[in-house]
Amino acid sequence: MKVKVFRRMSGVMSLWFVIVVLCAGCGRAGETRQGERGMASGAGGPGQSAAKSTEREIVVATSSESGGLDPAGNIALTYLAYSATALDELLTYDGDGTIDYRAAASYEVNGDYTMWTFHLREDARWSDGSAVCADDFVNTMTRALRPESGSGYVNYLFPIQNAEAIYQGGAEMESLGVETPDPHTLVFHLERPCVYFLDLLRLPVYMPSCTKYAKAAGGSWDKNPETSMSNGPFFLAKYVPEQYFVLEKNPYYWNADAVWLEKITFRFFDSQEAMAVAYESGAVDVACGVQSVMAKVYEGEADLMITDAIATRYIYPNLDVEPLGDVRVRKALSLAVNREELCEMAGAEAEATGHFIAKYMVDRATGNYYVEEMPKFFAQSEDVAAAVPEENGPGKAASFEENMDTARRLLAEAGYPGGEGFPKLVYKYPSLELDADVAQILQEQWKKNLGIDVELQAQELQVNYSERKAGRFDLCRMNWTADFADPYTYLSMLLSNSPYNCSGICDARYDALVRQSEGETDVKKRAELICQAERLAVEEKCYVIPLFSVRNVNLVRPGIEGITQVPATGALELRHARWE
Amino acid sequence: MAGYAFKRVLVGVFSVFVLASAAFFLTRLMPGSPFETGNSLPLVQAEIEREYGLDKPLPEQYLQYLSNLLHGDLGISYKKPGVAVVDVISRAFPVTCKIGGLAVLCSLAAGTALGIWQAVTKKAAVYNGILFVTILGSGVLNFVWGSLFVWLFGVKWKLLPVVGADVWQGFLLPVATMAIYPTCVVTRLTRNGFKREMGEDYVVLARAKGLGKTRVLGVHVFKNACLPVLRYMGPAAAFLLTGSFVVESIFTIPGLGREFVNSIANRDYTLILGLTVFMGTIVIGLNLLTDLLCAWLSPATRAGMTGAGK
Repeated sequence: MKVKVFRRMSGVMSLWFVIVVLCAGCGRAGETRQGERGMASGAGGPGQSAAKSTEREIVVATSSESGGLDPAGNIALTYLAYSATALDELLTYDGDGTIDYRAAASYEVNGDYTMWTFHLREDARWSDGSAVCADDFVNTMTRALRPESGSGYVNYLFPIQNAEAIYQGGAEMESLGVETPDPHTLVFHLERPCVYFLDLLRLPVYMPSCTKYAKAAGGSWDKNPETSMSNGPFFLAKYVPEQYFVLEKNPYYWNADAVWLEKITFRFFDSQEAMAVAYESGAVDVACGVQSVMAKVYEGEADLMITDAIATRYIYPNLDVEPLGDVRVRKALSLAVNREELCEMAGAEAEATGHFIAKYMVDRATGNYYVEEMPKFFAQSEDVAAAVPEENGPGKAASFEENMDTARRLLAEAGYPGGEGFPKLVYKYPSLELDADVAQILQEQWKKNLGIDVELQAQELQVNYSERKAGRFDLCRMNWTADFADPYTYLSMLLSNSPYNCSGICDARYDALVRQSEGETDVKKRAELICQAERLAVEEKCYVIPLFSVRNVNLVRPGIEGITQVPATGALELRHARWE
Repeated sequence: MAGYAFKRVLVGVFSVFVLASAAFFLTRLMPGSPFETGNSLPLVQAEIEREYGLDKPLPEQYLQYLSNLLHGDLGISYKKPGVAVVDVISRAFPVTCKIGGLAVLCSLAAGTALGIWQAVTKKAAVYNGILFVTILGSGVLNFVWGSLFVWLFGVKWKLLPVVGADVWQGFLLPVATMAIYPTCVVTRLTRNGFKREMGEDYVVLARAKGLGKTRVLGVHVFKNACLPVLRYMGPAAAFLLTGSFVVESIFTIPGLGREFVNSIANRDYTLILGLTVFMGTIVIGLNLLTDLLCAWLSPATRAGMTGAGK
């Protein structure tokens, strides 16, 4: 009897203990952090401390190992983290939009943008000291064009003459429209004019790979420090699968004087939580992409670095599903979303946008964001009387509170007054934390503002991809991170014949606008066409329902300077990082 | 005994075959493809799938897979370019094995000691103290313990590393996290076993014949009292040695559990199958071993088994 009572008491005590521990964990996190600040760097556990500020070394937490390091192979986040810091692309754009020449010293383009000539740096060296040649660039391209390479980026070579035919086995590799008249000249002949070609150069398939070692895709040369060469500021010094890899300064780098760090260690983490803990424990100096809740924990502190990705999260309404074929219904659904409220609830990762083209996509011609140049469409559309306050900033749609009446009117016109008789649509989304939160907020807003019920269906990420691509959905969450920094990456997805078009969009007017913008060489005219196409897709026809642009929450130890972000991929670039 | 053992081994081999086949068809039933990503172009995806033979009819793929398996070829991972499945296993298994093996040893040692102590003690405080600890330990899930340890030892006191298993100190917290639950169960089983056996006539007889308490407890009682522990430890060891995704994720340990869960999320068919067959063989093997050991230790079990078989 005594034992029984005690057993029950033990159970209650255990529960109490757990609650106390959990509360303590939540409540004291901020406080502990403050106390640790002084000893943060170099105070990790034995044998694995983060770099000390006196050493020219940084430890970075990155997401779990995925894919290889061969630019022509099957690559994912690990390559993106590696290449942003270690490799030199031909050229890129710096923060204010001017060209930053890296592997190339200059370039020329012909009048109709079909022939691009790059002059490579003659002093560029691989990390084994050998010269970087034009053939090294061709090496990546030809290897990627063999399907067995498993390259998921190969389609970005298709603007080059014959590239697509070669990939599909319809032409010989020799017919590829790339020439190397001398070891330091690289000439691209394109199928048709491509004004955004320079933006493609950051993509892996346009990176060089050392011909001496990189002979086949799928070999293991890419993760072997003996054979994995770099033409950039850092080279691969060590690679321990599933655990970490180490970059060291490339002594042969043409611009080695501008590189301060000697060593960068990237550690792989499976979960964002573990990453944040590693940062708090001092085991890493930089944590890329932690949960958005960390933005609240570190609010107002120097550690917090929020970067804007060129990514839009939006909803595809399936036009083949009734009543979504009716533009008034789609518009009602879009207008009834209060994006400001949604983002406030979803956290720091989300920033409201009413645009399809990513909010932070820069117009190279003007240096402004594209969406800044567009009329703030919701506010100016005839449906909405409310003006957008200027302080809402670039691309921020007007407060959507005022649009609810319009949304309800449109729904009533479509035959569903007050949501009456509206069929139950299913919203499919991947079971990620952010998307799950957003789905619930959307469900609530549509119920409140339109009186309609939407069923939520969380899916595993891979399942969601397949269902979306097969067009098996009513409403589907979609995220598009720009592979390259040009609006075409967004607009081309909705073309009638686009393989990415999975919601039954078929609009000749839209197709004509996008096609015209693709071939337009006058930058100003092109920007106008882009604006028109986006207005048509988002405002007039509501083919997509944009929700928010995505931001990354990073933690960087105070004292580290010079970290920038690759806008398209969101990867952090550490080539100019230093301890102050 | 030999006949029984042979029969059990045959059943074990057949189980592995069923497991391998079921795993093959179940992975193919999952929606999604290993080469599908959010941005992948269908044309490119189809080309790569053709290259990997995924466009062939399923029965053909299945026969190819079985034939490779018989030759010990688990294939190349689809998502880790150029890495053989065998390499993934030979890299991840030693890490998991170290942590799981240490957890097995710790839980056996600590659990048996605590169980015996609780069974023989006459002090209510000791008995109740151990009871409290074991209820707490088995009632709280291991990810709670893991997170608590990380926070206390890693973030708050900065005593132990909480990332990776590069140094021996890195093993302490994951092993502790993994060992807590089995320790509590072993304690309970040992205590119950001892208490039951200590009331048996043969103990009274042995004591009456003048045998020392330590000898009676340590030899005669121990052997009988440990059978339930052994029966529990077989499956428990299999569980610990195949890795825990949760614990490996919390401590960022490059073990089997993490590989397994990630391979499923990535639809890395060859890796899923390779790991399933490998882990399945361990589980089936350890269960087999436990059954044989139990049968050997307890003739009653053996007689029951063979009797039921006829």
